[in-house]
Amino acid sequence: MHIPDGFIPFWESAIFWVISLIFLSLSLRWASKEMNEKTVPLFTALAAGIFAIQAMNMPIPWGTSGHMVGAALTAIVFDSPWAAVLLLAMVLIVQGLFFADGGLIVMGTNIFNMGIVGGFAGYYIFKALKKTNFHVAIFIAAWAATFIASLVCAAELAIAGTFPIDLGIQFMGLYHAVIGIIEGLITVIVVGYLASARPDLVKSVKKVVLNE
Amino acid sequence: MNNNSILIAGLIVAVLLGIAAPFLASGNPDGLESAAEKIVNLDVLDANLEEAGLEEEGTIAPSPMPDYAIPGMEKIGEIAALIIGILLVTLLSFGVGSLLKSTSKN
Repeated sequence: MHIPDGFIPFWESAIFWVISLIFLSLSLRWASKEMNEKTVPLFTALAAGIFAIQAMNMPIPWGTSGHMVGAALTAIVFDSPWAAVLLLAMVLIVQGLFFADGGLIVMGTNIFNMGIVGGFAGYYIFKALKKTNFHVAIFIAAWAATFIASLVCAAELAIAGTFPIDLGIQFMGLYHAVIGIIEGLITVIVVGYLASARPDLVKSVKKVVLNE
Repeated sequence: MNNNSILIAGLIVAVLLGIAAPFLASGNPDGLESAAEKIVNLDVLDANLEEAGLEEEGTIAPSPMPDYAIPGMEKIGEIAALIIGILLVTLLSFGVGSLLKSTSKN
């Protein structure tokens, strides 16, 4: 879902840079309250792992491939969408500056789609569903985070005129509905593992237990 | 697991993924690229590329390791590129995290 330079004009890229920088500065405020000797190693481990797993494109039908994004995972583990905004920004900055994965002009747009939309959608869908079943809630939240981010991406490309709106939503939605299954499965495995290995670190688990 | 072993376990998983990805990752276009191949409006694309001063879509910043590869080094270069990337993300996130950890105490 990394948009390259050339897909979106300067004016639109500028708008998303401004929005993303506002969200990024708010995520730094979150981090200045939440970062401690427990959370820094977990945040770093997740950032490294998510960067690596984003390189692992998996085949889906139609000669296409996709990889996990990790925003819902981060938001659920830290019980905050701001963690996802900050972590995905770190990953996207390194990908864009060193590996030409995602453009530089459009980096703000990519941070918006994957970090902000992915993080907030994943977090609030998980929050809405977590009382039903913990693992099902994680799967649906992670799936929907990828799917919704792809629709937002299609809308941005439609505004740019790069994609027609109907076919853009159709293709982006179809591909990412399948890629979202990969996102959902890996998120369930990683959150489930962390929740059993270190329940004290996964704050959303504690809340579920307390609510019951 | 204590806090440091979480970090070490995360880095080990990341490095293992980095070693495996060049062999296992699908080379097919991703969802966005695949959609673009079918439905992109070439006139709009050309106008945007001209605005950015690019020949084809990509990035305006010259990247040292485009597409997670080091030119002329094949698979070893791809593994090295990913491990360098893991190192950079680790340093950046640990650095930002540590910086904000210290300000939160003051």
